[in-house]
Amino acid sequence: MKRYLLLFLSASLIISSCTETNPSGPDPDDFDRKAILENWADNIIIPALTDFSEKTESLKTAGNSFAENPNQQMLESLRDEWKAGYLALQNVSMFETSKTMEIRYRNNLNIYPVDTAEVKENINQGNYNLKLPSEIDQQGFPTLDYLLYGIAGNDDEILSFYNSGENSSDYRNYVVDLVNRIDSLTDVVLNDWNSGFRDEFVNNSGNGANSSIDMMVNDFIFYYEKNLRAGKIGIPAGVFSGTPLPQNVEGFYSEEFSKELFMESLTATQNFFNGKHFNSESTGLSLSDYLDFLNSIKNGTDLTQLINQQFELSRNKAENLNSSFADQVEIDNSLMLQTYDELQKNVILLKVDMLQALNINVDYVDADGD
Amino acid sequence: MNLSKSLLIIAAFIFTISCDTNNTNDEIATPETYEFTRNGESTVSFSGQTTRIKMSGELTSAMTDFDNTTKELLLEMFRNQTESGADANPFSDAELNAATKNIKSKVAASTDFYSSNTTVSSEIKTQFETWLTAQVDEVFPNENIQAQPGVAGQIADGSSTRYVNAKGFEYDQLVAKSLIGGLMSDQILNNYVSTSVLDAGTNIEDNSNGTTAEGKVYTNMEHKWDEAFGYLYGNSSNTANPNLTIGEDDSFLNKYVGRVEGDDDFAGIAQTIFDAFALGRAAIVEGDDELRDQQAEILRAQISAIIGIRAVYYLQSGKTVLEQANPDFGAAFHDLSEAYGFVYSLQFTRQPGTGQSYFTKAEVDGFISLLEAGNGLWDVTPQTLQDISVDIASKFDFTIEEAAN
Repeated sequence: MKRYLLLFLSASLIISSCTETNPSGPDPDDFDRKAILENWADNIIIPALTDFSEKTESLKTAGNSFAENPNQQMLESLRDEWKAGYLALQNVSMFETSKTMEIRYRNNLNIYPVDTAEVKENINQGNYNLKLPSEIDQQGFPTLDYLLYGIAGNDDEILSFYNSGENSSDYRNYVVDLVNRIDSLTDVVLNDWNSGFRDEFVNNSGNGANSSIDMMVNDFIFYYEKNLRAGKIGIPAGVFSGTPLPQNVEGFYSEEFSKELFMESLTATQNFFNGKHFNSESTGLSLSDYLDFLNSIKNGTDLTQLINQQFELSRNKAENLNSSFADQVEIDNSLMLQTYDELQKNVILLKVDMLQALNINVDYVDADGD
Repeated sequence: MNLSKSLLIIAAFIFTISCDTNNTNDEIATPETYEFTRNGESTVSFSGQTTRIKMSGELTSAMTDFDNTTKELLLEMFRNQTESGADANPFSDAELNAATKNIKSKVAASTDFYSSNTTVSSEIKTQFETWLTAQVDEVFPNENIQAQPGVAGQIADGSSTRYVNAKGFEYDQLVAKSLIGGLMSDQILNNYVSTSVLDAGTNIEDNSNGTTAEGKVYTNMEHKWDEAFGYLYGNSSNTANPNLTIGEDDSFLNKYVGRVEGDDDFAGIAQTIFDAFALGRAAIVEGDDELRDQQAEILRAQISAIIGIRAVYYLQSGKTVLEQANPDFGAAFHDLSEAYGFVYSLQFTRQPGTGQSYFTKAEVDGFISLLEAGNGLWDVTPQTLQDISVDIASKFDFTIEEAAN
């Protein structure tokens, strides 16, 4: 860490002398981007993925134990592992690589709402193939949410699906298939990082559309915009449809975790922006430092400060929300909309102001919807 | 100056003034709404066009209804009759089943382009039927197979699923986007706003005399122009003022006039098109054929541009995706399937002041063969997409950059 700090300082010195002669300010090319990439890989992404993979391993074990012995105790233990895993997923979901894109990692683990009719058909007919793009809404954490909480009105009835129902063994097998798949996909991603991709990622430290920074920053903003802002808040609040869609909240069937999942995700994105190490109080280099280095100011205020303030405003607004967003949407949707508005302000700061300062182009466009 | 000379000048002056007042070019205002009446009754009618737009909508939706659609059903929807020519009821909308209209007979069927070119007309109609049957023969059996080079099946486009043939094309997009040219634009540009149709038979004389068609309140010429109007606005909820909902009224030409209007580089095009329809119709009412024909040329330029712009737009969208380090092939294939249809539609465009389309069928077939070469979209390079974009944009007044964003 010391080495990078020195590099950073010396780079800053060079630049501060430059700024006097160069009215356009510091040049992004003079920043040590590799130091950011190392901090991201070694202190954030790989530790978070390692933690998540331990949780998916436990989830797998709990799922298989439940299938062997589907009783109340096993159900509760499986639910606990499911929740721990779902929360941990929020710390890794934003990180795209060629491997995650190839296996469509995020979509296979967390597409909601669940197509419950198709899930039942899969279980009853047995002819499913979870690798197919058309089956992303029939697996992953949301489908486990449905199978562990939503398939019936109370725990006894839920358990009867796995114990005495006509297809009880098919139900048990489906749970096993889901937990196994979550775990094996996670292994693929973690192994990729641990077996060469880490160095490839860190060494691809130039600028330009295919550099690690440009791609990761785009993926980060895409995640913030589509999965966090829209997926967790905007869509259920009806921002895009005009009418609220309570059934579209994350963790719909367990009812009480949607806020927790959202908060975890919001914190994870802010931590990434600030380079905060996973599960630690230490911080390293990240986008906030890069912006500070470039002296990025918007309307007279430091851009890093503005972005962090906006994260805080979003969090403060969200603190008022019910632990179940489905309830929140139905009781008082205006609080959801207000949270959305705060989140949206950071889309502007991140996607417009930050990208402009960092000289990074947006590499995705909204599909035109047809 | 003697008296006779003065009188002559005054006479000439008076003549000039009367000439001016007779010069309807300066007098006919562009109507703000598309409403025309005779003796208090509306003379505007285009129900046949509304019917065909709706039929086209049901047809393209049915192409991805894996559970209910058969080859026979798709062909019956295209023809609105059975294979043996008997009455068919393929649509969910009973009015469409009851209608005597169909899509097929109006595909590549304009007077200007196809009345003496039935060979090509028939070839194009057959092409649509080939796409319809191939969807059922090639894609349906592979519904639950992952698409690969040379293998039809499904492919992810973000969180959507697309169903493609062995070369990566979505047949439903090919059909939908090619209908924009082959049905809507060909009928408007090369048929209903053409002098060959507007002035056919005794239309000119009837129109100037106010002689209406038998049993109707409109003259034949008025009606022909309205039928052109109907292929763009026929499914609008407010046909008198269709720009209120432009882009939202169908999945065909209306939709893409709306899309192009939404691009700042082309803002105003929807009004330009509407105004040309409205003024042309007013000119017919006033018997001003010259003004009418000027509006027809505006429609030819602008509606052709819609097709050209969207072709380049989708080629560039696909190119941008394919240039990424980890291309989302499904997203690119979807864009390029739409591009294919718009490129195919170019052969039905019309260069103003000529009898020619912007691109001949042979040129269009050349573009298509570049997209289809080898394993098609699995193989196509960004450079090829750029080359086709350059060729298309060079014939129009827009740049690739303007179309792409």
